[in-house]
Amino acid sequence: MGFDGIEVVERKALGLGDLTRYPLFAPEFIDFLRRIMPPQRHAQLVFSIVVTARKPDSPSPTDHSHDP
Amino acid sequence: MPYFRDDEARSIIRETYGRVSSESAAVAEAFYPPEDLEGLPRAAVDLALGVGHPVRHAALRPGETVLDLGCDAGIDTLLAAQAVGSSGKAIGLDMTREMVGRARRNAAAAGLGNVEIREGLMEEIPLSDASVDVVVSNGVLNLSTRKSRVLAETARVLRLGGRVSIADLVLDQALPEDVLKSPAALAG
Repeated sequence: MGFDGIEVVERKALGLGDLTRYPLFAPEFIDFLRRIMPPQRHAQLVFSIVVTARKPDSPSPTDHSHDP
Repeated sequence: MPYFRDDEARSIIRETYGRVSSESAAVAEAFYPPEDLEGLPRAAVDLALGVGHPVRHAALRPGETVLDLGCDAGIDTLLAAQAVGSSGKAIGLDMTREMVGRARRNAAAAGLGNVEIREGLMEEIPLSDASVDVVVSNGVLNLSTRKSRVLAETARVLRLGGRVSIADLVLDQALPEDVLKSPAALAG
């Protein structure tokens, strides 16, 4: 089992300001992050990436994922 | 070291996603061009919770079968269904019953007859081997405590030559332990 052609096609920094868009995060949690994270990371907490890849056209000799 | 057991993590995520509501398109507008959002039900756009636009990079073709892992309210499932057309099919999979209901209502509101929404786990995808052409996912893989299992399941359901397009979050520096232990951080 495996993938070929793995490629990161997008990469974007997300900071505290971006997190405020999400209804998943209560204001109290954003405030918690603001207090606990160093100020230099406030604009770049995480990265959103998009990864593409492809399953090979033929099974590898060690691929048993389709065995009964 | 994992901070949550599988069952704890699922419970937190189901509770969080089950009760989430939104009347803002702020997340969708950050990642999708306006022309992609036109014509989609407002409820699907307002509950976009992803971190990218994986469908844009999936190079979908008419007639293909697409699986959207963790479909939430269905925005990417609907975009995939539009791209593959009536000869293709988009399957949305989500483990949160409320999201499954929302995605089904949004698919009906969009008038798309080539959408199927299933309730289930991405670690145990309820599809047969080699049954889909493309797997997309948007901000969901990071929620799993068994990510390698999700990828193995993804490979299992893909046909030979099938494609994946996954949007998700990564770190270049560790987060403080107090954040990692937070249920709010886990669900987000």
